[in-house]
This record gives sequence, structure tokens and C-alpha cells, in this order.
Amino acid sequence: MISFGLIILVSFFFTGIVIRTKSIASGRKGPGIFQPIKDIIRLFKKGAVYSETTSFIFQIAPGIYFASVVMAIMVIPFGQYKGIISFEGDFVFFAYVLALGKFFNIISALDTGSSFEGMGASREALYSMLAEPAFFLLMGSLALLTGHTSFHEIFMTFHFGSYISYALGVMATFVLVMICMIENSRMPVDDPKTHLELTMIHEVMILDNSGFDLGLILHATNLKFAMYGALIANLYFGVLPLYYSIPIFLVIQSLFAVAVGLLESFSARYRMSHNAQFIFTLSSVSLLIFFGVLMILGKLV
Amino acid sequence: MIDIQFLILSLFATIVGWFAIFFVPDKIKGNITFGFVMITAILTSIPAMHALVAEEIEVAFSGISLTGNIPVRIDSLSAWFILIINFTSITGVIYGIGYMKQYSNQKSNLTIHWIQYLLFHSSMLWVCMVQNSIVFLIVWELMSLSSLMLVIFDHQNNKTLKAGLNYLVQMHIGVALLSVAFIWVYSSTGSLDFNAIAQFFQTHSNSWLFLIFFIGFGIKAGFIPFHSWLPHAHPAAPSHISGVMSGVIVKVGIYGILRMMTFLRSDFIIIGESILALSVLTGLFGIINSAVHRDFKKMLAYCTIENIGIVGIGMGLGLIGLGNGNNILIVLGFGGALLHTLNHSLFKSLLFFSAGSVYQQTHTRDMEKLGGLIHKMPQTAFIFLIGALAIGGLPPFNGFVSEFILYKGMLEGISSSNIYHVILIIVSFAGLAIIGGLSLLVFTKSFGTIFLGNQRTELHSVPAEVSFSMRMPQYIIIGIMLLIGIFPSFFFKYASQAVLNSFAGIESFDIITLNPFLNNLSLVGIYAAGFLILILAIYVTRSYLIKKNATQISSTWGCGYVAPKVSMQYTGKSYSKSLGKILGFVVSEKKKYEEIETIEIFPQGRKHSSYYVDFFENKMIGKITNRLQYFMNLFQFVQNGSLQMYIIYGLFFIAIVFLGTLFNII
Repeated sequence: MISFGLIILVSFFFTGIVIRTKSIASGRKGPGIFQPIKDIIRLFKKGAVYSETTSFIFQIAPGIYFASVVMAIMVIPFGQYKGIISFEGDFVFFAYVLALGKFFNIISALDTGSSFEGMGASREALYSMLAEPAFFLLMGSLALLTGHTSFHEIFMTFHFGSYISYALGVMATFVLVMICMIENSRMPVDDPKTHLELTMIHEVMILDNSGFDLGLILHATNLKFAMYGALIANLYFGVLPLYYSIPIFLVIQSLFAVAVGLLESFSARYRMSHNAQFIFTLSSVSLLIFFGVLMILGKLV
Repeated sequence: MIDIQFLILSLFATIVGWFAIFFVPDKIKGNITFGFVMITAILTSIPAMHALVAEEIEVAFSGISLTGNIPVRIDSLSAWFILIINFTSITGVIYGIGYMKQYSNQKSNLTIHWIQYLLFHSSMLWVCMVQNSIVFLIVWELMSLSSLMLVIFDHQNNKTLKAGLNYLVQMHIGVALLSVAFIWVYSSTGSLDFNAIAQFFQTHSNSWLFLIFFIGFGIKAGFIPFHSWLPHAHPAAPSHISGVMSGVIVKVGIYGILRMMTFLRSDFIIIGESILALSVLTGLFGIINSAVHRDFKKMLAYCTIENIGIVGIGMGLGLIGLGNGNNILIVLGFGGALLHTLNHSLFKSLLFFSAGSVYQQTHTRDMEKLGGLIHKMPQTAFIFLIGALAIGGLPPFNGFVSEFILYKGMLEGISSSNIYHVILIIVSFAGLAIIGGLSLLVFTKSFGTIFLGNQRTELHSVPAEVSFSMRMPQYIIIGIMLLIGIFPSFFFKYASQAVLNSFAGIESFDIITLNPFLNNLSLVGIYAAGFLILILAIYVTRSYLIKKNATQISSTWGCGYVAPKVSMQYTGKSYSKSLGKILGFVVSEKKKYEEIETIEIFPQGRKHSSYYVDFFENKMIGKITNRLQYFMNLFQFVQNGSLQMYIIYGLFFIAIVFLGTLFNII
């Protein structure tokens, strides 16, 4: 319950921090950190234009996408406090619920019959497929290390002790950050600020969404950012009491947002044709984590 | 004892049904078939239900001298499959009545079709019951032949006949291997009863005989590299037959493999590891191929191969559990496999039925020619969408439940002390994740291309929604799928009970130890239902909030281009092109075109076509059959069409017989 509330809270200003960081890095003052949520609220009040090609899929998809993200957030624990939903193997549920949202997001893009949106949909499907094994290898390794299979218990029993475990923590953070960037179609994979539809992924898929639906989709992205940030923060809590963990949570989320902003300011998007390779290499980092776990457990030697 | 009478009655029902179908007027042949399928199903389901909840049924019919006693046993494993077969056959025949209306002028063909359907249904049932090698092979053969007759309904079409021949040959390679295996058992134990196989395994090495059985049944089930009949036979068959074949006939292969596994006494580990590795590869191969094909029934056929891989992952895990003595892993592995068998029979028949509705209305299986059908056939689109979600393993539908159980099984098996098992299982874990991700790509592609966007080509007739009798069975299937998705532990309890009853060596395992997992599983169901409610709540809120907002209908945003055309839509081919490029070593693309020659002053219009070839069919089986054909062609001079030569052959033959008898050689 705590994590749910905090993630919702962070989602209001997460992209705001990202945009602010990018503005400062490029020498501008930039909007306030609550500007994105203000934009979304304005979108909620606006009317919408629907394409005549679309069907009921286009009407229900944004809601299902949003619902899937909300459902996934409920699974996230907060240190020693369980998420609203917690059972053994809940990370599988987490991944598949998000996949359902993505399914509808993709078919709603195809529903418009546009050539550009299909292109984005194709890329989204391919890249998220390639990112899937990295997440499962990571969670499988952590499950092997801790002997538990739910987010809550895995994070409760994950301790930093040996050097290897620090390395694991760093690599796990890297994998989660990268998965987050891929899922949200951000910098090394996709540039949200690009103005050419041919090179977009997520942005081009939602070209035809407007008004309330666009607001839902945009806020789902904010929530997703905060959700992955919370996952990363959970790696470091252990069993700290609330008066430590809540500030740490907020700090980690802000740091994450600043890091995203810096990354987007100082790096360029990869070539579209190389993205697939890049994303698949994440699985090899996850495999490194797996071997690190084997070393900690003394199974390798 | 009453159960036995039901079984015998069901046999009579089938035979009476043949005559009835033959004699009744053409109009009601389908309905009569439905009646008899229903009667057979009820008569066999009652004993199956008893076997599932109470103890197994066993009776020995006295056979002729060749066969000896014919034991008929229904244990919970058989019962599970009998119930699946009955359900899918019933929905198949209801759908088939509507589907076959388009062929109502082919009267005699239809009569044969329905008679074969009855035979097909009851032969599948008896395959799961009979446990005498010879009788089993006969029933198995009846099943293969009757399904062949069903596949080649459209026999005037060359491609259909070719697919049928391919199916016939491959099924008989399977039967040949099964015969070898049964003869091996018979020669060393002297018994035709299936229990002799367990005796054999007790005293001999297990791997080799099991390998023969595995290939024999695996050809039916569609494990790679024995899968190559599936992508040909499924598109060729009428859609209700594709649905039933993909839904249950490949599952009979799974039943055979599982049955042989229950007899295994040693070598669990090596067999389990091999099956696990092969299954992951089968799953990946199937789904990668289904991503690139544009014939939607072929796409579904490859997707069946993928799901057989998922079932195989469960079986491999179960065997590894048997070898390591990990009881939870046995139940999760085999139980997950059984549940996925049920689930796949539901959503695959659903998908084939809805694909059949599309074919009936548009007369094309090429998804690149379709598009925008959601406006013309909204209910079929909805049904296909549900099937696509379920087969992708997405909550709240049933596919998620069985995949979840398999993931749980892998997480259980990962704590094994054997480092090789840990690595094998984590790789399978990632493999299953990739399969899940790819099936999302496959089904967004096919749903998007067939049903969404604009119509791509002009069709001969305007498609319309199919009749209620065709939609009704599909809604029943959807209902059951939702039930499994929301109350998974109820179904899994029976699956795990079947596993516990069937596998020797885990009798000591108490079902109560499974309770934490069952509770966990029911939580999954509750949260899946909660997810549905959340979606509904958000939709209702949205509808309420946007009521006062102005809405406007306009054309799709063309990114500044003002004259978009239908042909500019993204195609299914381009949707999966980047995947096909990355995985070019598995799915190689072949292109057919003529280059323009420099001397051609006035070039004519020409065609460019590209298609994907099956790796195993092209590189392995194709090579062998080409050699074989080359060798056989050496004897072509024998068949030269001249009558005089044939008379000489006859003379030769008579002379050989004469000389042979003269010198007592023959």
C-alpha cells in the first residue's frame, strides 16, 4: 500500500525532473517539475479526434494499457512492506500483466491503419520481446540466490555482503534501468524528442490518440518510470524502517530521473538497426548476474 | 461395472451412427453426426469422470488368439485426455455443421466426411483406453486414416492431396516406429499388455526403447524435427477439422508420450534433460516460424508446434523431478503439461474456428489480402482477439495459468544441487520468456493484419458475420477459458491428482503438501479477476469523464501527407520483417523473380514473390527425400508404359513362381 501511494506520488513529478535536467543541461531554465502532470490534467479535459478507420479496440486500449500499469504497480513491495498484491511467483504476473497492456497498445496502433503507426508497433513488439529474457534471467537469478519467488521476499532477503553481491547490485540496477528505458522507449533506444516519424517507436504509435486517451497513455508512462524506479530502490532497502526508507526512496527516484535526463542530454540514439543487438546484450548482463549468483552459492567451484 | 456397459454402448452408438448418417436426408446429416458425437461423448465421459475422481476402471475383453486378452483401462491420465477429446469434438462438430454449409452441393463427399468424423472421434477415445499393443496400433491406425480422410475433404485440389499424402506417409513412419517398439517389448517379455512395457523397463536400459516410442508419438505430437506434416495438413483441412486436429490429435501424441513415461523405471534424468532441451527448441522454432508466415492457418499450425514445446517443457521438468526425487517438481511439471494440454486444446480450436469463419467469408488464407474485418465481422474479431490473448499466456485467461505453473516449476527446479540442471533450467526459463514475447508479436501481427486497419484488397464477396451456430461453440470455449483463468486451482487439482495416480514412485506424496501452492494459484485467479474488474472500472470512469468532451471523427493522421491510400498501410510482412532478418538463420527467406535483361528493350510486367522455408523440411527432410527420389528414379525404366513390356514382366513373374516351387525355394 505504501509503495502504491509513493509510486503514484513520484509519478507526478518524475518526468518533470527529467525534463528539467535536460533543460538545465542544454542551458535553459525549463518548466517546473509538475508541468507534465498539469499537461496531462489539461488533456483529460480536452475533446478527442478519432480516426474513421478505428474500431472499439481503439476505444478500450488506452484504458487497458493504463490498468495494466496500475495492476503491475500493485505488485511492487516497499522494503519490508508487501505490495497490495503479493504471492509466490508474482514477478511472472507482473511481467505478463504489463505484456497485456502492451498487446493492446500495439493493436490500437494497428487499428488506425497508418503506415507509420504500424512501424512503431512492429518495433515495440520486437524490442519488448528481446528485453523479456533479460528480466526473467535477472529475476530467476535473484530467486535462486534468495530461495524465494515473490518480489517482497526476494528483496527482503537480498543482502549486500560480499564483493560479488555489490557487483550483482550494480549489474541488476543497470539491467533494470535499461529495461525501463526500453519499456518507456527512451534514449539509447528511442528518442522521444525526435521529429521524424520514421525513427520513432512509442511516440509514433500514439499519433492518433488525443484528449483523454492520450492523457491516460502519457500518465501510464510516468507511472512506469516510477514503477521501475521503485524496483531499483527496493534492491537497496532491505529491512530499513520507514523513516529511513521513504527518504531513500525519494532520493533514489530523483537520482534515477536526473540520470535519465543526463543520459538523454549527452548521448545519441542508437541506429535503429542496431537496437535489437543492443537490447539482446542485456540478457548477457543478466547471465553474468546468474553466474555471480552461482559463485555466491558456491555451485560453480 | 456400469461404466463398462457405457463404454460398449458408446461403440454401438458409433456403429449405429454410421448407418444413420448414411440413410438420413442430406440436410440433417450434420445434426445427426452431432447427436451421435454427443451420445458417444456422454457415454465415455461418465466413466472418465468416475476414473478422474474415484479409482481407475479396468476390464479385460477376451480377444482373438492373435491379440490375447484386450485390457481396457481408464485411469485418471486417460480420463483427462478423454474429457479433452470429447469437449473439442463436440464444439468441432457444432462449428462444422455451420462451416460445411458452403459445401452442401458435394453430397456424397459430405456423407463420408461425417462418417469419418464419428470414426475419428471414437478412435481417439479408444486410443486413450486400449492397452494391448496390437489393438492399440489398429485403433491408432484407424485414427490416422480417418483424420486423413477428414483432411482431404477438398480432394479436387492438388495442394490438399499433396498435404494429405505427406500426412499419410509421416503418420506411417510413426506407426512403423511404434510397431518396432511394441515388437521389441513383446519379444523380450512375451506379453502384449502395456504393463509388459513397465516390466521391460525394469530390467532393460530405458533410453533406447523410450527414444523409439518418443519419435513414434512425437511425429503425431509435432516435436521438431518431426513436425513437418503440421504446417501442410492444417491449412489443407476444413477449419473445424484443423481445430480438432490441432486441439486434440496432436494431444493424443502427447498422451502416448506421457503414457510411456509412466512406465519408465530409470534413466529419468537423461530423458528429462533431452526432452526439456528439445522442447525449448521446439517452442522457439514453432513461434519464430509462425511469426513470418502470411497464411494464417499455417501461422496457427506453427503456433501449435510452439505449444507442444511448452507442454514438453512441463514433461521434461517432471522427469527431472522424478530423477531427483523432487515431488513438487513432478507435480508442477507434469501437472503444468496436462493443464497446458487442456488449455491449448481450448484456445487453439477457438483460433482455428474463428480463422475458419474468416476463410468462409473471404475465401482466402492470405492475411495480406485482408484487413479491416473488425467492422464487417465484429464478433469473430472479438473471438479471435480472446484466443490471441489466451494463447499469448496473458492474464486473465487460461494460458497464463499453465505458463505460470511451468514458471513456478522451473523456479522449484532451479534450486537443484546439480549445476547442469540449474543452467539448463535457467536457460529454459529465459526461453519460455522469449516464447511469450514472440507470441505477443505473432498475434498482434495476425490480429492487426486480418482484422484491423483498412481492407487491403477487393474481395469477391462482402464478408458478413457468420451464423450463430458457428459462433455459439466459440463462446462456450471462451467461457471455459475464463473459468480456468479465474478458478485455476480447481482444474489444477485434478491435473495434479492425475499425475499422482499415474506415476509410480510418488505414492508417498501427500496431496496436502501441495495446498500452499494451490492456495497461491487461487490467488492468481483472484488477482486475474481483479484485473478484469480494474479494466472495467477504468473504462466506465473514462466513458463517464469524456461524456462532456467534444469528439470528432476524422481520417487517420497521415503525418502531413494528405492523400493516403490503403496500400500504404503497414503490412504483416513488414511487421515481422525485422524479426525475420535477425533470425534469418532459422527462417530463411527465398525470393522468386526474373531480373530485367539488358537486351530487353520493352520489359513486360513481372512478378516478385518471397516466401519463407522451413529449416528442417528444407535442410534435413528435403535432402533425404531428394536422394530417395534420385535413387528411385533409377528404376523409372521399369514403368515405361508399353504393354508388351508389362506382359513380359508377368511372364517373368510366373516363371519365377514356377521355378521357385519346383526347387522348393518358396
